[in-house]
Amino acid sequence: MLKSYFITAWRYLTRHKTYSIINVAGLSIGLACAMLILLYVKDEVSFDKFHKNVNNVYRIVTLSKFNGTYHKDGNTGFLQGPRFAKNVPGIQSYVRVQSGAADLQNGQEIQSQDLLYVDSSFFSVFTFPLLGGNASTCLTEPHSIVLSEDAAIKHFGKTDVVGKTMMLKEDSLFVPFKVTAVAKKCPQNSSIQFEVLLPFRESEMDAKNTDNWFNFFLNTFVVLNPNAKLQTVENQMQAFYVRDASKAYKAMVEKYLNGYDEGMGTYFLQPFTDMHMSTELPSQNGLQNASNPMYSYILSGIALFILLIACINFVNLTIARSLKRAKEIGVRKVIGSNRKQLIFQFLGESFLLCFIAFAMALFLVELILPVFNNLSNKALSFSYLFDAKLTGTYLALFLVTGLLAGFYPALVLSGYKPVETLYSRFNLAGKNYLQKSLVVLQFALASFLIIATLTIYSQFNFLTKTDLGFDDRNIVEVRKPGLKFHEAETFKAELLKNPNIVDVAPKNDGFWGTAAKISNDSVMQFAYETVDESYLPALKIQLVQGRNFSKSNPSDATNSVLVNEAFVKKAGWKNPIGETVNFYYLDNEKYQVIGVVKDYHFVALNQKIGPQLFTMKPSNNLGLFNIKIKPGSETESLRFIQAKFKEFFPLSPYSYIFKNEQRIKDYESEAKWKQIIFFGAVLTIFISCIGLFGLSVLSAEKRTKEIGIRKVLGASVSNVVATLSKDFLMLVSIALIIAIPIAWLATDKWLQNYPYRISLNWWLFAVACILVLLIALVTVSFQAVKAAIDNPVKSLRTE
Amino acid sequence: MIKIKDLEKIYRTEEVETIALNKLSMEVKEGEFVAVMGPSGCGKSTLLNILGLLDDSDNGSFVFNGVEVTKFNERKRAEMRKHNIGFVFQSFNLIDELTVYENVELPLIYTGVKTPDRKAKVEAVLDKMKIMHRRNHYPQQLSGGQQQRVAVARAVVNNPKLILADEPTGNLDSSNGNEVMELLTDLNEQGTTIVMVTHSEHDAKFSHRIIRMLDGQTVTENILV
Repeated sequence: MLKSYFITAWRYLTRHKTYSIINVAGLSIGLACAMLILLYVKDEVSFDKFHKNVNNVYRIVTLSKFNGTYHKDGNTGFLQGPRFAKNVPGIQSYVRVQSGAADLQNGQEIQSQDLLYVDSSFFSVFTFPLLGGNASTCLTEPHSIVLSEDAAIKHFGKTDVVGKTMMLKEDSLFVPFKVTAVAKKCPQNSSIQFEVLLPFRESEMDAKNTDNWFNFFLNTFVVLNPNAKLQTVENQMQAFYVRDASKAYKAMVEKYLNGYDEGMGTYFLQPFTDMHMSTELPSQNGLQNASNPMYSYILSGIALFILLIACINFVNLTIARSLKRAKEIGVRKVIGSNRKQLIFQFLGESFLLCFIAFAMALFLVELILPVFNNLSNKALSFSYLFDAKLTGTYLALFLVTGLLAGFYPALVLSGYKPVETLYSRFNLAGKNYLQKSLVVLQFALASFLIIATLTIYSQFNFLTKTDLGFDDRNIVEVRKPGLKFHEAETFKAELLKNPNIVDVAPKNDGFWGTAAKISNDSVMQFAYETVDESYLPALKIQLVQGRNFSKSNPSDATNSVLVNEAFVKKAGWKNPIGETVNFYYLDNEKYQVIGVVKDYHFVALNQKIGPQLFTMKPSNNLGLFNIKIKPGSETESLRFIQAKFKEFFPLSPYSYIFKNEQRIKDYESEAKWKQIIFFGAVLTIFISCIGLFGLSVLSAEKRTKEIGIRKVLGASVSNVVATLSKDFLMLVSIALIIAIPIAWLATDKWLQNYPYRISLNWWLFAVACILVLLIALVTVSFQAVKAAIDNPVKSLRTE
Repeated sequence: MIKIKDLEKIYRTEEVETIALNKLSMEVKEGEFVAVMGPSGCGKSTLLNILGLLDDSDNGSFVFNGVEVTKFNERKRAEMRKHNIGFVFQSFNLIDELTVYENVELPLIYTGVKTPDRKAKVEAVLDKMKIMHRRNHYPQQLSGGQQQRVAVARAVVNNPKLILADEPTGNLDSSNGNEVMELLTDLNEQGTTIVMVTHSEHDAKFSHRIIRMLDGQTVTENILV
């Protein structure tokens, strides 16, 4: 009996290949998509949970008021860890984690190595298993170094390297460090990722100086006593802080804030596991993989929707096809099958189909995982899926889908009297409002995603292609932090000897910001750039008023600054030239404005251009060279620059980047979104088409006789196709009418995140409409044409 | 074998009421071969479906093999059907996904016959119907006459006491039709009761008795033998 069912099911599937493939593929893609996203979300939720003591680990964070607004900060400094641990009874221990880099000598090669400075308690607070070395002592000696598995292989080619020596630059000399431990690779779902650990360093002076309460540059984690109450610990921390730091605070307010006291701020604790997906207090400053829960929500939303629709489509399509088998059901009943046997047969069949889909989904997941990992910046593994809870979920999903798909033929069709099915007297389902509204829903989502994709593409294009107000072509950026002005100038002069080097503009490394008093007594914050006279011409930045710095005016270095238009506007100056900027905290150093620079995008386009000030102050350090080269001379110029760099700075690591490439990197998160939404859109369209296809099959089946009659009365194939397609295009049009305003609102809201953005254009919506209608038309006409060219005699004779 | 008294069947839609069987009474004895004739819409097919326990009646009594079956539920009907009744349809009604062999085997599967017995029975009946050589073909690969022979084979494989045939030659040419009629005659001679609905006077001549119907009632009966 089983064999007979199986044979029928199998022959049925293979005989209707298109239907079977579409049906199974639709469900497996939906499932695969859901599994992948489940993996993603599971990974997100599991972040940092692998540490044994993780429920007692917290990060010290602050809430403070600045310029009238409160903000939270995850950074702390030298003092918070040791002083709280000593004076608050609930805190057992602490570990400070500070990011840094060191130059590392490997034979002749000098490499820059990112690393973390950590207290010796690191391995007792966190669970990072060691391959070799002693966890409790490996970070106690100042010249110890702990390597990760990867770093050990990178530098030594093997992992059992405890006791070996490495040369690291300290101040300006390379000194030996002893490898004291090798740690296993950090799990990918860890906020702490390290290749190299060095013992945390602070001078005795640093540890004593109470001013250091107000220096925030690292992460401090504490382990609470398991019995300690969080609220009590936080209160005790705050009380101690007020006691210990009040005096220093008052002095600081006097000195730097002009006596403007906005309160000392509040210390509190953030659970270690909350960090990964926190938008207020993210993993930063040496902590990796900060994530926005938004990703999880949006992805889960899309996945759930796709899965739901895929399941519904699977059920719909299976039912649509089962109607064709009404006759078979009738025959079986006449021959002697009872209802139970029919129920068993059809449920079995839908479970078989469902099973194939699930098996294929697993295969697909395995196949897509590398691409998905790349897209989501993760290293997810297939084995994550085999956890009891998830397996249970899949099983439940399998049962529900199989049951629903088999439900109609098994329970409804088997209930018909054989006479009705045998003589085609029964009516195939009713008006299908449910199926129709599902098609509308699916296509509304597909249209929405298409519009979203087009918008994101346009905005991305805008971000990466728009005029930044300066010329970033043919500019090579080379880093050498901590140079004195005269050192930079010597290097620059040497580079300029090569005719391929058009100009060299050194500036400070990284973004600096500071504050100063302008006019009356008001304090203003601004970006603070240290440059020389070449900066504006090399980058073709325009000057709107006054003049540039000049070599022939030696006093420019000590007396003059340039500001940008945003600065002038914020300061409210009518005649900016000659105005004074007062660096009040540096014993009232005063500078005259000699020129106004046209606003250019010195930060990425997702931030507004703020006030900016340029100085040539000789005591500031320079660290970044913008080297303009002749177009076409890339190879020779780069070789020349590298050679000169090695000659001048033999102990520093060399690397370069083209400035216009940097720009693409600035928009990595947008690029990621672009891809995710694009894939989401493609999948949704595909799945929606399956839904539409199912409905059109059902409808063509229902209208076989009508089509036959129409043809007998003289309708052409195109007439029939039009008749059949009309209704569906109507549904898709309704979907578009629903989707367009929602998409308009959503994309407009998204674009508001960007101070510089495209304006929403009607053509974007027109393209989306045409695309959706076209896709729908192709899907529907496939079935409509088939029905239309069928011989009418055949369809009429079934009576 | 069959005793029907005052049987009524009324089809109702929202607006119209169609009386398909109007207080019809008739009797069929074991071993008889009865033909039911009449114009389209006279209720012959309805009668056949009720006889085959595929449809139920609204009023009246139907005694099958001495048992009153009008109050039977679906399960009991199916049980009664599979052990006692075989069907032959005008449009053959073979299952397209199954081969000739598998189609004929199906009733045996449903009645729970063991595999080796099934094989013997199916082969015997295929042999008898002269389609053994087509056992592995699918219905679409056969001519109409062959398909109907398979349908007859399927109807008799369980050795039913009664065969109900609904215009068994309606889709066949005359020579194929004759072959099928001869098959039915043979079966009848071996003891199977046959009730056949037909439009064809020629086919009706194979029977012992012709019942003529009009508007849901029997009008005349001709005894041929």
